[in-house]
Amino acid sequence: MTSATVDDTPQLEVQCRDCGATLTMPAHTFAALCPYCASPSVVDRPADRDGFRRDRPDFILGFDITHEEATRRVEAWIHRSRLFAPSAIKQAKVTKVQGVYLPAWLYGGVARSQFEARIGENYTTTETYTTTDSKGNTVMRTRTVTKTEYRSLSGDHAAYVLDVIVTASKGLGNEELETIEPFDLRAMRRYDAAVVSGWAAEEATLSRDEGFQAGRSEAMQKVERKLNSFLPGDSSQLVDFSTVFSEENTDLVLLPIYVFAARYGAGERLRILVNGQTGEVQGKVPTSAVKVAVAVLIGIVVVASIVLGLMGASA
Amino acid sequence: MSDSVSHAAVIGRCERCESPLERGDLRCAICGMSAPHTRDMEEVLSIQVLRCEGCGAAVAYDAAIGAPNCSFCGSVMRMDELVDPPEQTGGYLPFRVDRAEAQARLKKWLGSRGFFRPKDLASRSRLESLKPLFWVGWVFDAEAEVTWTADSNLGSRRSSWAPHSGATSMIFDNLLVSASRGLSSAEVDAVSGSYELNDLESAPHSAPPDSVDLEIALVESFDVQRSLARRRIVKAIEMTAAARVEHSHVPGSRCRNVHTSVLLEKLVTRRLSFPAWVLAYRYDGKLYRAVISGQDASSMTGTSPFSYARLFMVLGIVAAVVAAVSLAASLS
Repeated sequence: MTSATVDDTPQLEVQCRDCGATLTMPAHTFAALCPYCASPSVVDRPADRDGFRRDRPDFILGFDITHEEATRRVEAWIHRSRLFAPSAIKQAKVTKVQGVYLPAWLYGGVARSQFEARIGENYTTTETYTTTDSKGNTVMRTRTVTKTEYRSLSGDHAAYVLDVIVTASKGLGNEELETIEPFDLRAMRRYDAAVVSGWAAEEATLSRDEGFQAGRSEAMQKVERKLNSFLPGDSSQLVDFSTVFSEENTDLVLLPIYVFAARYGAGERLRILVNGQTGEVQGKVPTSAVKVAVAVLIGIVVVASIVLGLMGASA
Repeated sequence: MSDSVSHAAVIGRCERCESPLERGDLRCAICGMSAPHTRDMEEVLSIQVLRCEGCGAAVAYDAAIGAPNCSFCGSVMRMDELVDPPEQTGGYLPFRVDRAEAQARLKKWLGSRGFFRPKDLASRSRLESLKPLFWVGWVFDAEAEVTWTADSNLGSRRSSWAPHSGATSMIFDNLLVSASRGLSSAEVDAVSGSYELNDLESAPHSAPPDSVDLEIALVESFDVQRSLARRRIVKAIEMTAAARVEHSHVPGSRCRNVHTSVLLEKLVTRRLSFPAWVLAYRYDGKLYRAVISGQDASSMTGTSPFSYARLFMVLGIVAAVVAAVSLAASLS
């Protein structure tokens, strides 16, 4: 999407229906704005020239945050104070802003699991111990202690796993997408070219099959979390589980995202994402090695001076 | 049952959990399966330009208004139907208790409120108002695969608890979840058992029955949207399932840490309006309220004054007895 490889991607030429100008757009996008007459175009194509069938989006989540609002939030985000970030971040210049519909796979299914767990049940018991009393005599005393008895438990768990979102774009990875989740999927509509009109929209560059695999492995993590909170006892540990997924489905959904490219310091780049529905701002801010080193040094000095001070006092 | 399901809004059943899908549903509300959609697959490369219906200019989607908007003449294109429509009642259950009967029932109820109520409660209470009310609620049927874990006293060793797990299937039949703003949950609980949910000969009506004086009737409408309604229904089912697991599935006589996972299937929801009489009566200058089911006068609930005079009288007698006993004990 905004990666450095954008320039190498094949370009698609389409004619603007309004003014007749020829537009070029990256082959993996399917919506563009004509630079001459500002007419928005949405390309609807069944298959690529290479025969790879592009998936048409099933659903779309429209933008709720305007361009201005997103920019304002990013400015505020840049000027937020961060302890270990390079100071130059605060002078970062936003060089490019783009509202884009990012393709993502929406995975769901039925998860039936069998689990084995170790369940700790607490009980209290009295034990005797020997100690010395105030007169120096050895005496026997009793005290109440809490102990844990471990029992094994195996069982079944069945649940729907819903709304697992995994990226369908090679340009934006799952980890980065997760930082600006969640999206409120209740506002989702059936895909309609009218909602894309005038915005950039990317096509799915990861296949449905890849989305399916990624969705399933994320679903597996969800199941594990569910199982961990499903166990009884005062304490519990999930020893083993196996899950069978059935009746799975994947739908292609377009998510509203603003991508901000910023520069700071000596040409360093920073990518900032804004959730176009909720306004959540996230970017991967590097930690400044200098600031961390200074903090560590200060810590050492403080500890050393305390130790020295104590030694001096005792001497 | 099936006749009320087949009303116009239902467009099919979910492939995964067999719950009915309604018009406008993108996905199944229960399991998230996407609803089938017939689309014409165009096999040619086409470029779509949306044109404003007002001036013919090309239009673009505007985030500020959530719809495509023409930047030249400012007109907004209408998007497809509401994504999340508000709930609407699917039928009115008929009144089977008339005004006179409700009034007589209140009188009888006031006379049977027990010792700690004022003695003249029935004779001195004045009826302030007696209004027919249609309150709204969801009635659902569903099947579910329920898996659970819990600690129980059965099989315990050193600790008083032992872990258990299990799986069971459950059927939910005519469960009622209130959507009423006017009635409290205690009031709904008191009357909800009295309705003939399967006696739908005179329901569903699209409008309240003529027999009710609409001039004075309070007709509630659902004030939640479909997605929220479904979430509340699913929550109610999960709570019902957990209660059933606790009562009839966990072995032993005591249990704790009951966890349930509910895989819901075939959830059929009906949205109904239920008849009730709401009474307000005045005693000693204060207003009290009572609710009587519109289908069975014997199920009712309400508030009534409390007689402190009688309470103090009892406390006085008890104190006197205790004093007398202790005096007798100290003398002997």
